[in-house]
Order: sequence, then C-alpha cells, then structure tokens
Amino acid sequence: MKQAGKARERAMPKAMPKGRAGSVAGAADPVTQFFAALDQQGHLATFEGASARVRLDVVDGKKAERWLISITRGDVAVTHSGGPADATVRIDRPHLEALITGRMNAQAAFLRNLFACEGSVGALMMFQRCLPGPPGSTGRVKPLSSKAVMAQRGMK
Amino acid sequence: MSAGLVQILEGNTFVVSDDRGDIESSSSDPTGLFSFDTRFLSRWVLTVNGQRLNALSTDDLQYFQTRFFLVPGSGSVYVDAKLTVIRQREVADGFREELRVLNHENEPVDLRIRIDAACDFADLFEVKDALKKKGHYRARVADRHLVLEYQRETYVRETWISSSSPCDIDAKGLSFRVTVPAHGEWKTALDVVVSSGSPAGAAAGHGPARIRGQRRVRRDMERGLEKWLRQAPRLECDWEPLGRIYRRCLTDLAALRFSTLTMPDRSLPAAGLPWFMTIFGRDSIFTSLQALPFVPELAATTLLALAERQGTRIDDFRDEDPGRILHEMRYGELTAFEERPHSPYFGNADATPLFVVLLDEYERWTGDTKLVRDLEHAARAALAWIDDYADLQDNGYVSYQRRNKQTGLENQCWKDSWDSISYRNGDLPGFPRATCELQGYAYDAKVRGARLARLAWRDPGLADRLEKEAADLKRRFNRDFWVEDGEYFAVALDGDGRQVDSLTSNIGHLLWSGIVDKPKARAVARHLLGPRMFSGWGVRTMAEGEARYNPIGYHVGTVWPFDNSFIAWGLRRYGFSDEAACVVAGIMEAAEVFKGRLPEAFGGYPRMTTRYPVQYPTACSPQAWSTGAPLLLLRVALGLEPEGDKLVVDPALPVRMGNLELLDLPGRWKRMDAFGRGRVDTDRVTRR
Repeated sequence: MKQAGKARERAMPKAMPKGRAGSVAGAADPVTQFFAALDQQGHLATFEGASARVRLDVVDGKKAERWLISITRGDVAVTHSGGPADATVRIDRPHLEALITGRMNAQAAFLRNLFACEGSVGALMMFQRCLPGPPGSTGRVKPLSSKAVMAQRGMK
Repeated sequence: MSAGLVQILEGNTFVVSDDRGDIESSSSDPTGLFSFDTRFLSRWVLTVNGQRLNALSTDDLQYFQTRFFLVPGSGSVYVDAKLTVIRQREVADGFREELRVLNHENEPVDLRIRIDAACDFADLFEVKDALKKKGHYRARVADRHLVLEYQRETYVRETWISSSSPCDIDAKGLSFRVTVPAHGEWKTALDVVVSSGSPAGAAAGHGPARIRGQRRVRRDMERGLEKWLRQAPRLECDWEPLGRIYRRCLTDLAALRFSTLTMPDRSLPAAGLPWFMTIFGRDSIFTSLQALPFVPELAATTLLALAERQGTRIDDFRDEDPGRILHEMRYGELTAFEERPHSPYFGNADATPLFVVLLDEYERWTGDTKLVRDLEHAARAALAWIDDYADLQDNGYVSYQRRNKQTGLENQCWKDSWDSISYRNGDLPGFPRATCELQGYAYDAKVRGARLARLAWRDPGLADRLEKEAADLKRRFNRDFWVEDGEYFAVALDGDGRQVDSLTSNIGHLLWSGIVDKPKARAVARHLLGPRMFSGWGVRTMAEGEARYNPIGYHVGTVWPFDNSFIAWGLRRYGFSDEAACVVAGIMEAAEVFKGRLPEAFGGYPRMTTRYPVQYPTACSPQAWSTGAPLLLLRVALGLEPEGDKLVVDPALPVRMGNLELLDLPGRWKRMDAFGRGRVDTDRVTRR
C-alpha cells in the first residue's frame, strides 16, 4: 500500500497524548497504543472510498480526554484532540479499554447503554469495525468425528 | 402461532394481538408489541364497564394498520349491541391506537373504560422459552404517561403510554370515566412509544428516548405502497390465478421491506414476518436475486447494508472472520449481554460467495457499474474469505464448523436444522462439513468476480487467477462429489473427505451455479424430476428412500418454494426448459391453493395422494424467499436473461398459462416488455 510509508512517519508523534509522550505510563497505556496503531495503518482498505470522523469523549473520573478518528476515502488518521465529527461517542475509560482490547463487543455495549453516541450511525459502525476481536479467538476448532456428533444426539 | 392472531408491522416493530385487539401473552400465544427484538407490551386489554369485548370484524387495512369492530358482551350467540367500540391501530415507533365508542341509544350513557397494560420485556429469543429475567421491573406515572420499565444494570427498556383525552393513570393502566351523548361518540388516541431509555434520561424523568428518529406518518406509508405497486412491471396472463399470485407477492414484499439505521430512506428484504424482520445475509440475498427483474433497488440496498457490516476480525463467539458476510443481526437483551452472538452473528458459509453472485447479477440487469466500483473492496474481501477462511480442511473446498459451541449454528448452509445433512443410512457426518451447494456458490462467485474484475476494477490479473481457480474447483468437484453408482452429487464431503451420499435438492443449486459438467447434468435433471424427488408440486429437499426422508421433515422431505425457484433457474441454465416449466407449474399451482402466499415449506407427500399441498407449520408468514419464489419462476418461465444491453426473452411456459405478458421490466434497457405463450405440457409430470 503506497500510503503506508507516509503514514508511519507521522503516526507516533501525532497520536501520543500531549504531556505524556514518552513516559512509561503513556507507552503502556492500551488506549494510546491502540490509537497509535490505528493511525499507523495509514490506509484501511475496508473503508476504501468512505469518509467519516468519529470523536471519542472519554471520561476518566474527573479527567476527560478526546480522540478524533478521521477517515478520508480510506485514509485513517487519529489525533488526541477534539474537533467537529459525524459521530460523537461519550464513554467511560474502562469501557473504552474493554472495547479496544476486544474484551467487550461494541454493538452489545451500545445496546446496554454503556456508551452514548450522537450523530451518524454509519460513522459509529466504521469505528466499531476498527476494533479487534476477543482475545483468544483463533479462528479454528478441533474437527469433530461422525461418532462424536452421533453420540451428542444420543445415537450410536 | 395460533389461528385468529392479528399482526401488523412497520420495519422491525410489530404488534401481534387477538382478534379483539387485546394482547395477553402466554408461552403458547406469543402476542405483544415488539420492537428491536424486544417485547414492549405483553398485556393490553380493553374493558368497558368491567366487561371484555367481542369482535364483530377485523379489517387489515394495510400491513401496518388494522381496525377492530367490537361490542361489549360475554360471547353469547346473540349480542345486544347498544355500543360499538372501534379500535384502529397503526404501527410506527410503537403504535397509535384510536379508540372510538359509539352510543346507539336514545339517551346518554356513562361508561368506565379501562386499558390494562403490562410488559415482561422479553427478548424475542426468550419469548417461547419463558426464561427467567435477570433485571427488575418498575411501573411509574411520569409527565401524564404510564411508563413501564425494565432495567438490568445499564440496560434499560421502557414503554411510554399516553392518551389524548384526560384519564386516570395508575401503575397497571389507564382509566376513563366518560359520558357518551345519545347517538353520540367519544374518542381518544392512545400512544405507545418504545424507548431504549438512556440511564440519564430515565433518571431525569424526561420523555422517552426513541429508538428510531421521527415517527413516520401514515400517509407516507400508504403512498409508499401505492407507488411500489405502480412502479412494478405489469402482468397480464390468461391463467387468472397468476395475476393474484403476482399482486400478493408484490404486496408481501412491500411489507417485508426493512430499513437499517444507516440507510433510513432505502429498504432491503427482511427474512420473514413478523419474527424475522431483521437483516439475514442469506435470506436477503436470495430474495434480492429473486426480485431483481422486478425491483432491482432491493439488491443494491442489500449489498450496501451487508458490506457495511462485513466481518473485519476473528471472533470465535460470533463466528466472524475478515470478509465474511453476516448471518443474522439482533438487538434484544440476550444479544446486549453477549449471551447470544447476534451482534451480528456470522455463522453461515454461503452468504459470502452469494454476495459476489448478487453483485454481478445486479450489474448484469442494471448496468450500475458505480456500485460495483464502490463495493470493490467488499467483493474482494468476500472472494478472499473463500480461500483464506472457508477452506477449513485445506482441501480447496468451502467447509463450515461452528466455533461458538453453545449458541452457534451447527449447519451453516440454508438447510440449517441439525439432521439435514446425512449419509444414505441416516448417520450424521462429523465436522467440518463441505456441502455441495457451497462449492457451487464459490465457483459462481469466482467466475462472476472475474467478470467484475475486468469490467469495473481494471484488474485482469485477478480475473485470470479467479477463472483458473474456478476451472480447477469445477474439475475437482465433479470428480470428488460425484456418486458413481447413483449418478448424482453427494450432499457433502465429511471431515475425512468421504462422500455424504444422500440424494438431496442441493444438486439443483449446483445447476444454478454452473459447476456441473455438461455430461453429468442430464442425470441430475432426471433425478430432480424423477419420482423420488418430484412430488408433483415441487422438488423435495430429500429424496424418498433415504433413511432420514420424512415428507414433513423440515429439511428432509418437505418442498421449499424458494429452493424450487433456484432449481428451476438451474434447469434452464443447462437447457432443460421443459423440466423447468414443470417446476414452475407445480409451485405456481401450489401458490394458487395457498391464495398467492406460498408458505416457507409444504409436505413432500405425492400430489396425487393428498391432492392439496399440506402446509408445514412455521411461525413466519409471509417468508421473504417464498414470496420471491413466484417472481423468480416468472423470470425462468419467460427465459429472461440480460445479454449486453438487451433483455433476451425465451419463453418455456406451461400450457395452462396460455398467454403471459410482463410489461415494463426495468433494467439497463430502461423498460422492456416480455411475452410468452404456454406450450409445455407439464401435467404429464406434475399430475402423474
């Protein structure tokens, strides 16, 4: 992908939170890591031709932080800042951490009112599709024999 | 579902009530107001002076609107009607019920009118299982509304009930004390609004947080249906029932239209009414294919909606992979708490190749290359899924095996019941299973993907590779799946690569996909129309004589109209026009018996034994792909095929149909007419 090089260049500095850049806490922080990695991808073929901006207003006790994900015809950029967006998500930090590590499914969380979203549902769905699957998902299971299937059904 | 139940709907909101308009749900009568896969009213009972009412008549005015004419009384033969009660109900974000009480006496009458309301907030998945709820209930009066509420942690669902006329509101309902003048009338409008109640909103006691945007007005819906019918091609036929069948299909298809939250102005076919008013990858694709010559825009919306939700990651709970097309989407409590995987669930092995098939077929009819370019990545990802994720046995065939062992689907093909795939002797194969029709779909997806790569993606390299892979798949398939001693294709290969050798209707789909070597096709057609498979009404899902054959077994002997429509298409593809006409005749004649609305499936009994097709009891009617079956059969009967910018018409109609005209068929040719005359004697097969 030809944009990748360009993206890599700008990714880390832009995505690192101001004031925490380079600190040990910042490097280990899963949220920062996730957005840095997303930014670094530069181009997501999944969203080829599509554009949307999603802002996350993250609440952490009394602190608040903002992340802005901009997708422009498939090119993705993440900044640790506010700004106008097609969809605005308001979410507690622990829930965001669960989402970006795949421990919680975003669609299910939305149905449980674990975060609020204003604006475009399509933009929200694009954000959801950037999230990883559950940890431990391998995509394969052990084959099952005919005998085992029959036994499950109480047949010999 | 019991007889006498009335259902109306709009999108995924629907009401099922008794013929008085009352809702008293029980496990055997799943009545209620449902929205987003959740019941929002489980009790809604009208009384006048403490008495229940009797139904005089019930009119389904539109699919989203019903009127109940009622009189007070205890159900004796003779009703002394001095009052008439009219309830007119229409579905929107919940429903609105106009309640009118007419006094036929010469003097005023004092009445106590009462609506009892309650809700269990059951998830659709729980409705029949009567599972115990984990949250707690509350009923409160707020801002002149009765608010029924269910809360489990942060999950909140509410029903807001109000009346346009003054009333007393308590936790169990609304009461009116009214005086109706002599020969006069009293009326009120009851509003029931469903809400997903954000925690903040609920605490503050503000109005309902509507799940969907603005309430739509009835006029728009009515106009929508009229316009829909007017824009569809016009049908004229000597065989009178066909006109009725056609109109019924179009009207039912209109009712089955469903809008997603991301595309509120467009619609795609949901799977069935009312319990399956949601996106199903397979059902929406098959129905869009069937309806393509008549309403091509359904296909475009289906493709866009599925692409928007295409898999992007490995998720074993949801059987999700990158590029995979979803199976089913749900919004209820069990999905919300990840007790069911439908957020969305991806457990099917056919929708992904069929996505590419639909995209290509859509372009052939409409010439809409823009959509093909817009969906280039989605289609490439779907094609990549076939090779990268579906080849579970590393043998070059598409297989399935669920990774979600608790709530995932065992059989991830259209025959998704547990016993649908078996050996001749009735034994069940292990997993993974590579059913034959999946290989056909994969073959077709590669062939069509190659065409799209050349036409719109400017990637001849991909096209060459796909064509090579398709040819190789076809060669191997005809060798590995062919059951020599029976001269048909095995229904599947099991986990050891051994043939699962029962004879099933799946072989008909192979003709449709084009994966069958020409010399083998005649034997396949002979089986499909032979006495073991063809009942006289249609092709059975499983041949008589197989150990698991049962004429009323869901996927092991019943006749499915949808299945037959694709089999007929396959027969025509291989030049078996007369055989296709026999399937057309059988299913259309069954549709006549069912008054135009084909059920999902009917019994596989021989036609000349039962005389009437015996309906298989299913919860949903109409079912989308049964609704679409007559439309595809019309295409097959007239031999409609786009070739370049032309529409080729090559009719092979049953004699009984006489003259058939289909006028103003939309497509890349703008509008075209098709004519045919019945010349095929189908009775020798359908009534043998």
